[in-house]
Amino acid sequence: MSNENLLEIIRESIVKVDRETAVQTVESALAQGLQAIEVIEKGLSPGMQKVGDLFERGELFLPQVMMAAGLMTQIVQSLQDKMSPEQTTKKNGVVIIGTVEGDVHDIGKNIVKILLSVNGFEVHDLGRDALLSRFVEKAKEFNANIVASSALMTGTMQAQGDLETLLKEAGIRDRVKTMVGGAPCTQYWADKIGANAYAENASEAVTKARELMAAQ
Amino acid sequence: MAYKERMGDGRLVEMSKEEMIRDIEAGCNDAAERGKISALSEDAQERLLDIMISPERVASVEPENTVVFSTDNGCHSLYGNFSEAGGVGLPIHSVTANMLMERALGFDSVFYGWLDFCFKAAKAVITQHQQELESILMNTVSPCIYGAMPNLGGYYKPDGPFENVGDLMAEGKILEGMEVYERLVDHAKEDIVWVSEQLTRVGVDCINIDTTGAAGDGDFLSSLKACEELKKQTGLSIEMGMASEFVMGIHGGLEYDGNVLAGMYPHKQVKMAEKAGVDIFGPVVNTNTRQSTPWNIARAITFTKECSRVANIPLHPNMGMGVGGLPMAEMPPLDAVTKASKAMVELAGVDGI
Repeated sequence: MSNENLLEIIRESIVKVDRETAVQTVESALAQGLQAIEVIEKGLSPGMQKVGDLFERGELFLPQVMMAAGLMTQIVQSLQDKMSPEQTTKKNGVVIIGTVEGDVHDIGKNIVKILLSVNGFEVHDLGRDALLSRFVEKAKEFNANIVASSALMTGTMQAQGDLETLLKEAGIRDRVKTMVGGAPCTQYWADKIGANAYAENASEAVTKARELMAAQ
Repeated sequence: MAYKERMGDGRLVEMSKEEMIRDIEAGCNDAAERGKISALSEDAQERLLDIMISPERVASVEPENTVVFSTDNGCHSLYGNFSEAGGVGLPIHSVTANMLMERALGFDSVFYGWLDFCFKAAKAVITQHQQELESILMNTVSPCIYGAMPNLGGYYKPDGPFENVGDLMAEGKILEGMEVYERLVDHAKEDIVWVSEQLTRVGVDCINIDTTGAAGDGDFLSSLKACEELKKQTGLSIEMGMASEFVMGIHGGLEYDGNVLAGMYPHKQVKMAEKAGVDIFGPVVNTNTRQSTPWNIARAITFTKECSRVANIPLHPNMGMGVGGLPMAEMPPLDAVTKASKAMVELAGVDGI
Protein backbone atom coordinates (compact mmCIF):
# COMPACT_ATOMS: atom_id res chain seq x y z
CA MET A 1 0.00 0.00 0.00
CA SER A 2 1.32 3.45 -0.84
CA ASN A 3 2.25 5.94 1.84
CA GLU A 4 -0.58 8.19 0.75
CA ASN A 5 -3.07 5.35 1.09
CA LEU A 6 -1.84 4.62 4.59
CA LEU A 7 -2.14 8.28 5.56
CA GLU A 8 -5.65 8.37 4.15
CA ILE A 9 -6.63 5.37 6.28
CA ILE A 10 -5.14 7.09 9.34
CA ARG A 11 -7.12 10.24 8.57
CA GLU A 12 -10.36 8.30 8.18
CA SER A 13 -9.76 6.22 11.29
CA ILE A 14 -9.51 9.43 13.32
CA VAL A 15 -12.78 10.66 11.82
CA LYS A 16 -14.45 7.33 12.61
CA VAL A 17 -12.69 7.05 16.00
CA ASP A 18 -11.55 3.59 14.92
CA ARG A 19 -8.81 2.98 17.46
CA GLU A 20 -7.74 -0.44 16.21
CA THR A 21 -7.36 0.61 12.60
CA ALA A 22 -5.63 3.84 13.56
CA VAL A 23 -3.03 2.12 15.75
CA GLN A 24 -2.38 -0.69 13.26
CA THR A 25 -2.06 1.67 10.31
CA VAL A 26 0.28 3.98 12.17
CA GLU A 27 2.48 0.95 12.91
CA SER A 28 2.36 -0.10 9.25
CA ALA A 29 3.24 3.42 8.15
CA LEU A 30 6.25 3.53 10.45
CA ALA A 31 7.35 0.05 9.32
CA GLN A 32 7.10 1.23 5.73
CA GLY A 33 9.50 4.06 6.44
CA LEU A 34 7.25 7.03 7.12
CA GLN A 35 8.57 9.33 9.82
CA ALA A 36 6.51 9.76 12.99
CA ILE A 37 6.28 13.49 12.35
CA GLU A 38 4.84 12.81 8.88
CA VAL A 39 2.23 10.51 10.38
CA ILE A 40 1.19 13.31 12.71
CA GLU A 41 1.30 16.18 10.25
CA LYS A 42 -0.11 14.40 7.19
CA GLY A 43 -2.34 11.78 8.80
CA LEU A 44 -3.56 12.52 12.30
CA SER A 45 -3.79 16.32 12.10
CA PRO A 46 -5.74 16.49 8.82
CA GLY A 47 -8.01 13.77 10.20
CA MET A 48 -8.75 15.88 13.23
CA GLN A 49 -9.22 18.91 11.03
CA LYS A 50 -11.87 16.98 9.14
CA VAL A 51 -13.53 16.10 12.45
CA GLY A 52 -13.78 19.82 13.21
CA ASP A 53 -15.20 20.54 9.75
CA LEU A 54 -17.83 17.83 10.09
CA PHE A 55 -18.84 19.12 13.53
CA GLU A 56 -19.38 22.55 12.04
CA ARG A 57 -21.65 21.06 9.39
CA GLY A 58 -23.73 19.10 11.89
CA GLU A 59 -22.44 15.78 10.63
CA LEU A 60 -20.42 14.85 13.72
CA PHE A 61 -21.31 15.49 17.32
CA LEU A 62 -19.47 16.57 20.44
CA PRO A 63 -18.86 13.08 21.91
CA GLN A 64 -17.20 11.96 18.66
CA VAL A 65 -15.08 15.12 18.57
CA MET A 66 -13.90 14.50 22.11
CA MET A 67 -13.20 10.82 21.42
CA ALA A 68 -11.32 11.62 18.21
CA ALA A 69 -9.21 14.18 20.05
CA GLY A 70 -8.51 11.64 22.79
CA LEU A 71 -7.49 9.00 20.25
CA MET A 72 -5.19 11.38 18.42
CA THR A 73 -3.59 12.55 21.66
CA GLN A 74 -2.87 8.95 22.70
CA ILE A 75 -1.29 8.08 19.36
CA VAL A 76 0.82 11.25 19.35
CA GLN A 77 2.08 10.35 22.83
CA SER A 78 2.96 6.85 21.67
CA LEU A 79 5.02 8.36 18.85
CA GLN A 80 7.09 10.60 21.11
CA ASP A 81 10.00 8.17 21.45
CA LYS A 82 10.17 7.83 17.67
CA MET A 83 10.81 11.51 17.16
CA SER A 84 13.93 13.57 17.55
CA PRO A 85 14.23 15.83 20.64
CA GLU A 86 13.74 18.81 18.33
CA GLN A 87 10.54 17.34 16.99
CA THR A 88 9.08 16.39 20.37
CA THR A 89 9.72 19.80 21.86
CA LYS A 90 8.67 21.63 18.71
CA LYS A 91 5.60 23.73 19.29
CA ASN A 92 3.70 25.67 16.71
CA GLY A 93 3.11 28.35 19.29
CA VAL A 94 1.76 29.13 22.74
CA VAL A 95 -1.88 30.18 22.90
CA ILE A 96 -3.86 31.63 25.79
CA ILE A 97 -7.55 31.05 25.13
CA GLY A 98 -10.74 31.81 27.01
CA THR A 99 -14.31 33.06 26.89
CA VAL A 100 -14.31 36.65 28.09
CA GLU A 101 -15.71 37.77 31.42
CA GLY A 102 -19.48 37.95 31.62
CA ASP A 103 -19.89 35.27 29.00
CA VAL A 104 -20.38 31.59 29.80
CA HIS A 105 -20.67 30.22 26.27
CA ASP A 106 -17.75 27.92 25.65
CA ILE A 107 -18.72 25.11 23.31
CA GLY A 108 -17.10 26.74 20.29
CA LYS A 109 -14.10 27.90 22.27
CA ASN A 110 -13.53 24.33 23.45
CA ILE A 111 -13.56 23.02 19.89
CA VAL A 112 -11.00 25.68 18.93
CA LYS A 113 -8.88 24.63 21.89
CA ILE A 114 -8.97 20.98 20.83
CA LEU A 115 -8.07 21.70 17.22
CA LEU A 116 -5.22 24.01 18.19
CA SER A 117 -3.89 21.45 20.69
CA VAL A 118 -3.89 18.56 18.26
CA ASN A 119 -2.23 20.78 15.68
CA GLY A 120 0.84 21.32 17.79
CA PHE A 121 -0.04 24.46 19.71
CA GLU A 122 0.52 24.63 23.45
CA VAL A 123 -2.86 25.86 24.64
CA HIS A 124 -3.66 27.30 28.07
CA ASP A 125 -7.41 27.47 28.55
CA LEU A 126 -8.81 30.05 30.96
CA GLY A 127 -12.30 28.56 30.65
CA ARG A 128 -15.43 30.66 30.49
CA ASP A 129 -16.25 33.98 32.17
CA ALA A 130 -12.49 34.57 32.35
CA LEU A 131 -11.31 37.85 33.84
CA LEU A 132 -9.45 39.92 31.27
CA SER A 133 -6.62 40.40 33.75
CA ARG A 134 -6.11 36.61 33.66
CA PHE A 135 -5.49 36.72 29.91
CA VAL A 136 -2.71 39.22 30.55
CA GLU A 137 -1.26 37.31 33.52
CA LYS A 138 -1.17 34.02 31.66
CA ALA A 139 0.21 35.59 28.50
CA LYS A 140 3.13 36.85 30.57
CA GLU A 141 3.52 33.64 32.57
CA PHE A 142 3.68 31.38 29.51
CA ASN A 143 5.34 33.86 27.20
CA ALA A 144 2.39 33.44 24.85
CA ASN A 145 2.49 34.03 21.13
CA ILE A 146 -1.25 34.33 20.72
CA VAL A 147 -4.08 35.52 22.97
CA ALA A 148 -7.41 34.20 21.69
CA SER A 149 -10.70 35.42 23.12
CA SER A 150 -14.22 34.22 22.48
CA ALA A 151 -17.52 36.06 23.00
CA LEU A 152 -21.00 34.95 22.04
CA MET A 153 -22.99 38.06 22.84
CA THR A 154 -22.93 41.62 21.60
CA GLY A 155 -22.91 42.69 25.23
CA THR A 156 -19.74 40.76 26.03
CA MET A 157 -17.78 41.17 22.81
CA GLN A 158 -16.76 44.65 23.94
CA ALA A 159 -14.46 42.86 26.38
CA GLN A 160 -12.38 41.76 23.40
CA GLY A 161 -11.70 45.41 22.70
CA ASP A 162 -10.93 46.05 26.37
CA LEU A 163 -8.47 43.16 26.26
CA GLU A 164 -6.53 44.93 23.51
CA THR A 165 -6.21 47.94 25.80
CA LEU A 166 -5.15 45.83 28.78
CA LEU A 167 -2.46 44.08 26.76
CA LYS A 168 -1.13 47.47 25.68
CA GLU A 169 -1.18 48.80 29.23
CA ALA A 170 0.72 45.69 30.37
CA GLY A 171 3.35 46.46 27.73
CA ILE A 172 3.04 43.11 25.95
CA ARG A 173 0.72 43.91 23.07
CA ASP A 174 3.63 44.22 20.65
CA ARG A 175 4.90 40.73 21.40
CA VAL A 176 1.61 38.82 21.28
CA LYS A 177 -0.88 38.41 18.46
CA THR A 178 -4.57 38.50 19.23
CA MET A 179 -7.40 36.48 17.76
CA VAL A 180 -11.13 36.93 18.26
CA GLY A 181 -14.04 34.63 17.59
CA GLY A 182 -17.63 33.92 18.56
CA ALA A 183 -21.02 34.35 16.91
CA PRO A 184 -21.27 38.17 16.82
CA CYS A 185 -17.63 38.71 15.83
CA THR A 186 -16.58 39.61 12.31
CA GLN A 187 -13.47 40.69 10.46
CA TYR A 188 -14.87 44.20 10.70
CA TRP A 189 -14.98 43.88 14.48
CA ALA A 190 -11.44 42.53 14.62
CA ASP A 191 -10.24 45.44 12.50
CA LYS A 192 -12.15 47.93 14.62
CA ILE A 193 -10.61 46.83 17.92
CA GLY A 194 -7.18 46.15 16.46
CA ALA A 195 -7.11 42.38 16.84
CA ASN A 196 -4.68 40.57 14.57
CA ALA A 197 -7.08 37.92 13.35
CA TYR A 198 -10.69 36.82 13.26
CA ALA A 199 -11.76 33.24 12.71
CA GLU A 200 -15.20 32.26 11.47
CA ASN A 201 -14.94 28.73 12.85
CA ALA A 202 -12.58 26.33 14.60
CA SER A 203 -10.86 25.08 11.46
CA GLU A 204 -10.20 28.61 10.35
CA ALA A 205 -8.83 29.39 13.81
CA VAL A 206 -6.07 26.85 13.25
CA THR A 207 -5.27 28.33 9.84
CA LYS A 208 -5.21 31.85 11.24
CA ALA A 209 -3.06 30.84 14.19
CA ARG A 210 -0.56 29.25 11.82
CA GLU A 211 -0.54 32.38 9.68
CA LEU A 212 0.06 34.56 12.72
CA MET A 213 2.96 32.37 13.80
CA ALA A 214 4.45 32.39 10.31
CA ALA A 215 4.32 36.17 10.31
CA GLN A 216 6.14 36.49 13.65
CA MET B 1 -21.65 48.29 -14.11
CA ALA B 2 -21.07 47.93 -10.38
CA TYR B 3 -23.83 47.39 -7.83
CA LYS B 4 -23.65 48.32 -4.17
CA GLU B 5 -23.98 45.21 -2.05
CA ARG B 6 -23.06 44.08 1.43
CA MET B 7 -20.74 41.55 2.88
CA GLY B 8 -21.93 39.26 5.66
CA ASP B 9 -20.47 41.64 8.22
CA GLY B 10 -22.43 44.59 6.81
CA ARG B 11 -19.63 46.32 4.88
CA LEU B 12 -20.61 47.97 1.62
CA VAL B 13 -18.91 46.51 -1.43
CA GLU B 14 -19.31 46.92 -5.14
CA MET B 15 -20.06 43.83 -7.18
CA SER B 16 -20.57 43.24 -10.87
CA LYS B 17 -23.64 41.43 -12.13
CA GLU B 18 -21.47 38.45 -13.01
CA GLU B 19 -20.05 38.29 -9.50
CA MET B 20 -23.54 38.36 -8.06
CA ILE B 21 -24.73 35.58 -10.37
CA ARG B 22 -21.74 33.52 -9.31
CA ASP B 23 -22.35 34.17 -5.60
CA ILE B 24 -26.07 33.40 -5.82
CA GLU B 25 -25.34 30.09 -7.48
CA ALA B 26 -22.62 29.27 -4.95
CA GLY B 27 -24.85 30.15 -2.00
CA CYS B 28 -27.64 27.94 -3.35
CA ASN B 29 -25.24 25.08 -3.92
CA ASP B 30 -23.76 25.36 -0.45
CA ALA B 31 -27.23 25.02 1.12
CA ALA B 32 -28.14 22.19 -1.24
CA GLU B 33 -24.99 20.28 -0.40
CA ARG B 34 -25.21 20.75 3.36
CA GLY B 35 -28.93 20.17 3.64
CA LYS B 36 -29.01 17.47 0.95
CA ILE B 37 -31.82 19.41 -0.71
CA SER B 38 -32.48 20.90 -4.13
CA ALA B 39 -30.79 24.13 -5.14
CA LEU B 40 -32.98 27.01 -6.32
CA SER B 41 -34.11 26.72 -9.93
CA GLU B 42 -32.52 28.96 -12.55
CA ASP B 43 -35.71 31.02 -12.67
CA ALA B 44 -35.63 31.55 -8.92
CA GLN B 45 -31.95 32.49 -9.04
CA GLU B 46 -32.69 35.02 -11.78
CA ARG B 47 -35.53 36.49 -9.73
CA LEU B 48 -33.24 36.74 -6.73
CA LEU B 49 -30.70 38.54 -8.89
CA ASP B 50 -33.41 41.04 -9.89
CA ILE B 51 -34.16 41.69 -6.23
CA MET B 52 -30.49 42.04 -5.34
CA ILE B 53 -29.54 44.46 -8.12
CA SER B 54 -32.39 46.83 -7.34
CA PRO B 55 -30.81 50.19 -6.46
CA GLU B 56 -33.69 51.12 -4.15
CA ARG B 57 -32.93 51.68 -0.50
CA VAL B 58 -35.99 49.72 0.61
CA ALA B 59 -37.36 46.66 -1.16
CA SER B 60 -40.96 45.60 -0.70
CA VAL B 61 -43.66 43.24 -1.92
CA GLU B 62 -46.94 43.86 -3.69
CA PRO B 63 -49.90 44.50 -1.35
CA GLU B 64 -51.42 41.06 -1.80
CA ASN B 65 -48.12 39.47 -0.82
CA THR B 66 -47.70 41.18 2.52
CA VAL B 67 -47.14 38.85 5.46
CA VAL B 68 -47.54 39.24 9.20
CA PHE B 69 -44.75 39.84 11.69
CA SER B 70 -44.36 37.92 14.87
CA THR B 71 -41.59 39.06 17.15
CA ASP B 72 -39.16 37.54 19.59
CA ASN B 73 -37.91 40.94 20.65
CA GLY B 74 -40.31 43.74 19.76
CA CYS B 75 -40.51 46.07 22.71
CA HIS B 76 -36.90 45.30 23.67
CA SER B 77 -35.91 47.18 20.53
CA LEU B 78 -37.28 50.32 22.09
CA TYR B 79 -36.25 50.15 25.74
CA GLY B 80 -33.29 47.81 25.60
CA ASN B 81 -29.98 49.57 25.30
CA PHE B 82 -27.99 49.22 22.12
CA SER B 83 -25.22 46.77 22.82
CA GLU B 84 -26.88 44.64 25.49
CA ALA B 85 -30.24 44.15 23.88
CA GLY B 86 -30.03 45.49 20.36
CA GLY B 87 -32.36 48.35 21.21
CA VAL B 88 -32.34 52.12 21.18
CA GLY B 89 -32.49 52.59 24.94
CA LEU B 90 -35.64 54.70 25.29
CA PRO B 91 -36.49 55.30 28.97
CA ILE B 92 -39.94 53.75 28.72
CA HIS B 93 -41.79 50.85 30.28
CA SER B 94 -42.62 47.59 28.52
CA VAL B 95 -46.31 48.54 28.37
CA THR B 96 -45.57 51.88 26.71
CA ALA B 97 -43.08 50.21 24.40
CA ASN B 98 -45.63 47.65 23.27
CA MET B 99 -48.28 50.29 22.74
CA LEU B 100 -45.81 52.16 20.54
CA MET B 101 -44.96 48.99 18.64
CA GLU B 102 -48.63 48.33 17.98
CA ARG B 103 -50.13 51.80 17.53
CA ALA B 104 -47.26 53.79 16.07
CA LEU B 105 -45.20 51.19 14.25
CA GLY B 106 -48.01 48.87 13.18
CA PHE B 107 -46.61 45.61 14.54
CA ASP B 108 -48.88 42.61 14.07
CA SER B 109 -48.04 41.18 17.48
CA VAL B 110 -46.83 42.52 20.79
CA PHE B 111 -44.25 40.89 22.95
CA TYR B 112 -43.18 40.36 26.49
CA GLY B 113 -40.22 38.52 27.90
CA TRP B 114 -37.47 39.78 30.03
CA LEU B 115 -34.17 40.79 28.58
CA ASP B 116 -32.36 37.80 30.08
CA PHE B 117 -34.70 35.61 28.08
CA CYS B 118 -34.59 32.33 29.97
CA PHE B 119 -37.47 30.16 31.23
CA LYS B 120 -35.53 28.89 34.24
CA ALA B 121 -34.62 32.35 35.43
CA ALA B 122 -38.18 33.60 34.81
CA LYS B 123 -39.43 31.31 37.57
CA ALA B 124 -37.99 33.65 40.18
CA VAL B 125 -39.86 36.69 38.86
CA ILE B 126 -43.04 35.07 37.61
CA THR B 127 -45.38 37.30 39.58
CA GLN B 128 -43.80 40.41 38.12
CA HIS B 129 -44.08 38.86 34.68
CA GLN B 130 -47.77 38.16 35.26
CA GLN B 131 -48.33 41.76 36.35
CA GLU B 132 -46.58 43.30 33.37
CA LEU B 133 -48.11 40.88 30.94
CA GLU B 134 -51.57 41.64 32.23
CA SER B 135 -50.93 45.36 31.76
CA ILE B 136 -49.77 44.79 28.20
CA LEU B 137 -52.80 42.64 27.46
CA MET B 138 -55.12 45.30 28.86
CA ASN B 139 -53.61 48.03 26.68
CA THR B 140 -53.09 46.31 23.35
CA VAL B 141 -55.21 44.46 20.82
CA SER B 142 -52.73 42.40 18.79
CA PRO B 143 -51.79 38.90 19.91
CA CYS B 144 -49.32 39.03 22.79
CA ILE B 145 -46.39 36.62 22.60
CA TYR B 146 -44.25 35.73 25.60
CA GLY B 147 -40.77 34.61 24.65
CA ALA B 148 -37.85 32.94 26.40
CA MET B 149 -35.28 30.26 25.64
CA PRO B 150 -34.75 26.82 27.20
CA ASN B 151 -31.09 27.68 27.89
CA LEU B 152 -29.80 24.33 29.10
CA GLY B 153 -26.54 26.05 30.02
CA GLY B 154 -28.38 27.63 32.96
CA TYR B 155 -28.67 24.23 34.63
CA TYR B 156 -24.93 23.78 35.09
CA LYS B 157 -23.18 24.55 38.37
CA PRO B 158 -23.06 27.14 39.91
CA ASP B 159 -26.42 28.22 38.46
CA GLY B 160 -27.97 24.76 38.56
CA PRO B 161 -27.45 21.28 39.99
CA PHE B 162 -25.54 19.65 37.12
CA GLU B 163 -21.89 19.35 36.20
CA ASN B 164 -21.04 21.08 32.93
CA VAL B 165 -21.40 18.50 30.18
CA GLY B 166 -18.66 20.07 28.07
CA ASP B 167 -16.25 19.91 30.98
CA LEU B 168 -17.10 16.29 31.69
CA MET B 169 -16.53 15.31 28.09
CA ALA B 170 -13.28 17.26 27.94
CA GLU B 171 -12.11 15.21 30.95
CA GLY B 172 -12.83 12.04 28.99
CA LYS B 173 -16.03 11.30 30.91
CA ILE B 174 -18.03 11.03 27.72
CA LEU B 175 -20.76 8.65 28.88
CA GLU B 176 -21.18 10.50 32.17
CA GLY B 177 -21.51 13.73 30.24
CA MET B 178 -24.14 12.22 27.98
CA GLU B 179 -26.10 10.89 30.96
CA VAL B 180 -26.05 14.27 32.69
CA TYR B 181 -27.19 15.91 29.47
CA GLU B 182 -30.12 13.50 29.19
CA ARG B 183 -31.23 14.45 32.71
CA LEU B 184 -31.12 18.15 31.87
CA VAL B 185 -33.81 17.75 29.24
CA ASP B 186 -36.70 17.08 31.60
CA HIS B 187 -35.61 19.82 34.02
CA ALA B 188 -35.74 22.37 31.23
CA LYS B 189 -39.04 20.99 29.94
CA GLU B 190 -40.63 21.28 33.39
CA ASP B 191 -39.55 24.91 33.67
CA ILE B 192 -40.88 25.83 30.22
CA VAL B 193 -44.20 24.21 31.03
CA TRP B 194 -44.48 25.77 34.50
CA VAL B 195 -43.69 29.31 33.37
CA SER B 196 -46.04 28.99 30.38
CA GLU B 197 -48.85 27.74 32.59
CA GLN B 198 -48.43 30.69 34.95
CA LEU B 199 -48.64 33.11 32.03
CA THR B 200 -51.66 31.33 30.59
CA ARG B 201 -53.45 32.26 33.81
CA VAL B 202 -53.24 35.96 32.93
CA GLY B 203 -54.21 35.38 29.32
CA VAL B 204 -51.04 35.27 27.24
CA ASP B 205 -51.92 34.53 23.60
CA CYS B 206 -48.85 32.62 22.56
CA ILE B 207 -45.60 31.27 23.97
CA ASN B 208 -42.48 31.63 21.86
CA ILE B 209 -40.02 28.91 22.81
CA ASP B 210 -37.16 30.73 21.22
CA THR B 211 -33.48 30.31 20.41
CA THR B 212 -34.21 26.63 20.66
CA GLY B 213 -31.27 24.31 20.26
CA ALA B 214 -28.74 26.92 21.38
CA ALA B 215 -27.34 24.41 23.85
CA GLY B 216 -27.62 21.51 21.44
CA ASP B 217 -29.92 18.59 20.71
CA GLY B 218 -31.14 18.35 24.33
CA ASP B 219 -32.20 21.97 24.18
CA PHE B 220 -34.35 21.23 21.12
CA LEU B 221 -35.73 18.06 22.70
CA SER B 222 -36.77 19.87 25.88
CA SER B 223 -38.65 22.42 23.75
CA LEU B 224 -40.45 19.74 21.75
CA LYS B 225 -41.45 17.87 24.88
CA ALA B 226 -42.62 21.06 26.57
CA CYS B 227 -44.68 21.98 23.54
CA GLU B 228 -46.31 18.57 23.47
CA GLU B 229 -47.27 18.82 27.14
CA LEU B 230 -48.48 22.42 26.90
CA LYS B 231 -50.68 21.60 23.96
CA LYS B 232 -52.31 18.75 25.86
CA GLN B 233 -52.77 20.71 29.07
CA THR B 234 -53.57 24.24 27.90
CA GLY B 235 -54.11 24.29 24.14
CA LEU B 236 -51.90 27.38 24.15
CA SER B 237 -50.60 28.69 20.83
CA ILE B 238 -46.88 28.06 20.47
CA GLU B 239 -44.25 29.56 18.24
CA MET B 240 -40.86 27.88 18.11
CA GLY B 241 -37.79 29.78 16.95
CA MET B 242 -34.53 28.01 16.29
CA ALA B 243 -31.06 29.11 17.40
CA SER B 244 -29.10 28.03 14.35
CA GLU B 245 -29.50 26.29 11.03
CA PHE B 246 -28.69 22.80 12.26
CA VAL B 247 -29.17 21.17 15.62
CA MET B 248 -25.79 20.95 17.28
CA GLY B 249 -25.05 17.47 18.62
CA ILE B 250 -23.94 17.84 22.20
CA HIS B 251 -25.24 14.34 22.90
CA GLY B 252 -25.73 13.07 19.39
CA GLY B 253 -28.16 10.26 20.15
CA LEU B 254 -31.21 12.06 21.49
CA GLU B 255 -34.36 11.24 19.56
CA TYR B 256 -37.85 12.62 19.17
CA ASP B 257 -40.53 10.51 17.54
CA GLY B 258 -37.82 8.03 16.54
CA ASN B 259 -35.64 10.63 14.83
CA VAL B 260 -32.14 11.63 15.88
CA LEU B 261 -32.27 15.37 16.42
CA ALA B 262 -28.57 16.22 16.12
CA GLY B 263 -27.60 17.45 12.70
CA MET B 264 -31.15 18.25 11.59
CA TYR B 265 -31.51 21.16 9.17
CA PRO B 266 -34.68 23.34 8.97
CA HIS B 267 -36.72 21.10 6.66
CA LYS B 268 -36.38 18.24 9.14
CA GLN B 269 -36.69 20.40 12.25
CA VAL B 270 -40.10 21.67 11.13
CA LYS B 271 -41.48 18.14 10.97
CA MET B 272 -40.48 17.59 14.60
CA ALA B 273 -42.11 20.89 15.52
CA GLU B 274 -45.31 19.88 13.75
CA LYS B 275 -45.37 16.58 15.58
CA ALA B 276 -45.00 18.37 18.90
CA GLY B 277 -47.91 20.69 18.13
CA VAL B 278 -46.06 23.90 17.29
CA ASP B 279 -48.29 26.48 15.55
CA ILE B 280 -45.62 28.73 13.98
CA PHE B 281 -42.09 27.61 13.21
CA GLY B 282 -39.16 29.99 12.95
CA PRO B 283 -36.27 28.48 10.99
CA VAL B 284 -32.82 29.99 11.17
CA VAL B 285 -30.14 30.09 8.51
CA ASN B 286 -26.78 31.41 9.65
CA THR B 287 -24.86 34.14 7.88
CA ASN B 288 -21.28 33.63 6.77
CA THR B 289 -19.60 36.98 7.43
CA ARG B 290 -16.91 36.34 4.80
CA GLN B 291 -19.44 35.92 2.00
CA SER B 292 -21.54 38.53 0.22
CA THR B 293 -25.20 39.23 0.91
CA PRO B 294 -26.23 37.69 -2.45
CA TRP B 295 -24.43 34.50 -1.39
CA ASN B 296 -25.97 34.53 2.08
CA ILE B 297 -29.50 35.37 0.97
CA ALA B 298 -29.41 32.75 -1.79
CA ARG B 299 -28.32 30.21 0.79
CA ALA B 300 -30.98 31.26 3.29
CA ILE B 301 -33.71 31.16 0.63
CA THR B 302 -32.64 27.69 -0.51
CA PHE B 303 -32.88 26.25 3.01
CA THR B 304 -36.11 28.07 3.83
CA LYS B 305 -37.82 27.24 0.56
CA GLU B 306 -37.32 23.54 1.22
CA CYS B 307 -38.56 24.01 4.78
CA SER B 308 -41.60 25.81 3.41
CA ARG B 309 -42.21 23.05 0.85
CA VAL B 310 -42.48 20.31 3.46
CA ALA B 311 -44.15 22.34 6.24
CA ASN B 312 -47.79 22.02 7.15
CA ILE B 313 -47.63 24.88 9.65
CA PRO B 314 -46.87 28.57 9.07
CA LEU B 315 -43.22 29.58 8.80
CA HIS B 316 -41.88 32.82 10.24
CA PRO B 317 -38.14 32.68 9.54
CA ASN B 318 -35.82 34.56 11.84
CA MET B 319 -34.63 37.67 10.02
CA GLY B 320 -32.15 39.63 12.09
CA MET B 321 -28.54 40.05 13.09
CA GLY B 322 -26.55 37.29 11.44
CA VAL B 323 -29.51 35.11 10.39
CA GLY B 324 -31.83 34.82 7.39
CA GLY B 325 -29.12 36.02 5.04
CA LEU B 326 -28.72 39.30 6.90
CA PRO B 327 -25.35 40.74 7.86
CA MET B 328 -23.89 40.14 11.30
CA ALA B 329 -24.31 43.71 12.43
CA GLU B 330 -26.13 45.06 15.45
CA MET B 331 -28.34 47.12 13.20
CA PRO B 332 -28.52 45.11 9.97
CA PRO B 333 -28.60 47.52 7.00
CA LEU B 334 -32.08 48.34 5.73
CA ASP B 335 -31.32 47.44 2.12
CA ALA B 336 -30.17 43.94 3.07
CA VAL B 337 -33.03 43.41 5.54
CA THR B 338 -35.74 44.34 3.06
CA LYS B 339 -34.22 42.55 0.08
CA ALA B 340 -33.85 39.37 2.11
CA SER B 341 -37.39 39.68 3.47
CA LYS B 342 -38.81 40.26 0.00
CA ALA B 343 -36.97 37.18 -1.28
CA MET B 344 -38.22 35.14 1.67
CA VAL B 345 -41.81 36.00 0.82
CA GLU B 346 -41.61 35.81 -2.96
CA LEU B 347 -39.20 32.93 -3.41
CA ALA B 348 -39.29 30.89 -0.21
CA GLY B 349 -43.04 31.25 0.27
CA VAL B 350 -42.95 32.05 3.96
CA ASP B 351 -46.09 32.99 5.89
CA GLY B 352 -44.56 35.64 8.10
CA ILE B 353 -41.31 37.10 9.32
